[in-house]
Amino acid sequence: MIRPDLTTDQCLKCNICTSACPVASVSDDFLGPKAVGPQAARYRYPHRPPSVPSLTWCSGCGICSLVCPHGVAVAEINIQAKAEIEKRRKTYLRDYLISRPELLGRLASPIASLANKSLSSRPMRWLLEKSLAISSNAPLPTFASQSLRTRLRSKCVDTPPDPGLESDQMVAFFHGCSSNYYEPDLGILAVTILEQLGQSVIIPPQKCCGLPLQSNGLLTAARRYAQANISWLAPFARRGIPIVGTSTSCTLSLKHDYRVILGLQDDESNIVASSTFDFFEFLTHQLADEIDQLDFKPLIADVIYHPPCQLRSHGIGFPALKILERIPGLQIRLSESDCCGVAGTYGIKQEKSLVAYNVGRTIFEQAKQSEVDFVLSDSETCRWWIAKHTGLPVYHPLEIMAKAMDIV
Amino acid sequence: MTEIVVVGGGLTGLLASIFAVDRGAKVTLVARGRGGLTLSHGCIDVWGKATPSRALSRLRMSHPYRLAGAESLRTGLEFLRDLCHQADLPYIGNISRNLRLPTALGTIHTSALAPKSLALGDLRDNTPITIAGVDGFRDFYPELVVANLLKAGIAINDALQLPLPLSAARRDPYAMDLARSFDDQHFRDEVARIWKPRLSGIKRLGVPAILGLFNPQLAHEELQERLGMALFEIPTLPPSLPGLRLERLLQRKAMEMGVFVIEGPKVLGRVDGSAKPARVSGVVLQTAGGGRTLTADIVLLATGGVLHGGLVFQQNGRVQESVLDLPVSYDEGRQHWTAYSPLETQPYANYGLRVNEQMQPLGADGLPIYTNLFCAGGLIAGADRSGEGSRQGIGVATAYRAIEAALG
Repeated sequence: MIRPDLTTDQCLKCNICTSACPVASVSDDFLGPKAVGPQAARYRYPHRPPSVPSLTWCSGCGICSLVCPHGVAVAEINIQAKAEIEKRRKTYLRDYLISRPELLGRLASPIASLANKSLSSRPMRWLLEKSLAISSNAPLPTFASQSLRTRLRSKCVDTPPDPGLESDQMVAFFHGCSSNYYEPDLGILAVTILEQLGQSVIIPPQKCCGLPLQSNGLLTAARRYAQANISWLAPFARRGIPIVGTSTSCTLSLKHDYRVILGLQDDESNIVASSTFDFFEFLTHQLADEIDQLDFKPLIADVIYHPPCQLRSHGIGFPALKILERIPGLQIRLSESDCCGVAGTYGIKQEKSLVAYNVGRTIFEQAKQSEVDFVLSDSETCRWWIAKHTGLPVYHPLEIMAKAMDIV
Repeated sequence: MTEIVVVGGGLTGLLASIFAVDRGAKVTLVARGRGGLTLSHGCIDVWGKATPSRALSRLRMSHPYRLAGAESLRTGLEFLRDLCHQADLPYIGNISRNLRLPTALGTIHTSALAPKSLALGDLRDNTPITIAGVDGFRDFYPELVVANLLKAGIAINDALQLPLPLSAARRDPYAMDLARSFDDQHFRDEVARIWKPRLSGIKRLGVPAILGLFNPQLAHEELQERLGMALFEIPTLPPSLPGLRLERLLQRKAMEMGVFVIEGPKVLGRVDGSAKPARVSGVVLQTAGGGRTLTADIVLLATGGVLHGGLVFQQNGRVQESVLDLPVSYDEGRQHWTAYSPLETQPYANYGLRVNEQMQPLGADGLPIYTNLFCAGGLIAGADRSGEGSRQGIGVATAYRAIEAALG
């Protein structure tokens, strides 16, 4: 059983987390992960909200936990404490809405072109900022008129297929909200790559991973989503079918957040966690031989690779690099920034959007000054945010891989 | 291509990775949390108690320096110095004469190599010194530095406090916050403008180490020129900028050279049960999703001693090596671990793994336990690194020797 609150005592107050915190480094509204977390927790009555309003500035990027050399679950402590604050106040309508991308997707898909047009119009954005405090500077995703599940209906299954001959080459695709409602083309590319590598892809029942709810402190709702996903996915995991996702934040939820932040620690959540893979982790870890045999087409471009903070928290390094490095002609620079700032829904909020922008400024300036052709990043919210603030195209690394495999 | 896994992301692990990739190996560096450099003064101590070049050849044969050999130290330091020079973070000094640098407590730190911005504070140079604090930064007391240096008989002029062009901050600034401000050209212009008139007649000025993170060399040189005097930095309480700068430089260099870096997971070793003589087959990483196996031809442990997690001192009186539970040389019984006074030499400081001249951990029979396992840095027994002032030197020499022995 992993209990974040019990790691508090391991904190030596060394401030390594504070020095690595992207938010504390650009805003003095935030006291830093140590000050609001393990330090404040020493004076906190159990199950009471911490009296540190500054905590709400935490973006939840998770870098503090990653850099801690003593195993303190700083980010997890802070997310749980944020939820305590949230519990004791009325949830803003805005936070209710932006933490439910699946609901929005389901409502808007049938009227996608109308919804996209109105959401991209200036008066509408002005209205959203004035009425709901949704920053008019933040990128909002566009809805696709047909969801991935509709387009790949034949691959959708309710339960794992009966044990058969093909099942050892089978992959369950976790598309998440973004591949389903916003970027279905990306999901289709991912499925195509997996199939070209000899996998047979099925799409298990699933709903939003619940991370946006969790980041907004709405843990009860997040837990409901998590429980639904675990009960749907566990039968696949038990059958030895790996669960693969292209969104690093969804896969992190399945691996880590459900268990450590939402406290769902049982056999089912454990097997789902250990069977879940980030797309490139799966490729480099499970399909290394197949990948070695691929002959990539040259792709002449100078690019920046920005690993999302949520990918860092997987503890697997940046596996996309192992594949990108093999594409002839591709010049890759690493992002100078540990976080682009948006952290899911954080940058969308009007009161946070300037801090979020400043967090990402290093990568925005690097992209502009180095005159790269495009930027690569594994997480959708990072891609939309970096594209908005650099004016450059930003792709998922798998889109480039597909190109080098002649898929597009 | 030889595949090597380096465990540990401090000075030793980062350097070992760079040495290995330079010799053509395929390197994965795994680090649980940021390494010791974040907390370090950023200098390379080789032998603080006396002149290193003379003292080292007189050490007992079991000392890590003697096992690694003088040549490893010399070549390793040369390599490091070149790296830093190329990356615009020049280091000054050599092993035939130690620098004598003032600390934030007003004691004298003897070190072989220091970043240029620190080395200019060398007390062997008798240009008179003034020490200045900066307003709002509570981690540095110029009066304390001056009072203690005077007690030690160092001629020192004065202590003073300088203002900074900061807007009213909502919290105490950390050294890191100030360093980020100094990265900004406009901020430096403003600093030079307000400081200049307050510093007339001063020949040499010491300030806390806050002069920039991303481009400290530029910040230092520019301010020095604008103020028209020698300007030097004194490392502050951790996280300490000179250490962070070196860490950042080595991390980026390692990644640029193709080291695959995995931050986050705890690491456990894997033994190849069938091999005779015994071998390790790789490591298991405790990632967010669970254990993931990483196979390797060679494993190098650079996990550090008790301060850094390589050795775990148990309540039951056992001292355990954290990755493979290797035999540790230590005194049975907790009462023997520490000396009566904290200022005496501590017995525990000498605990660690016994190694041969190839840096292979040895068993009770004096033979290597695993033919393809090597170690370097603070994990090795037989040196009191704090007392000797030898921590970084041992890291550099043993990292070099271990990689040389492992890769030939």
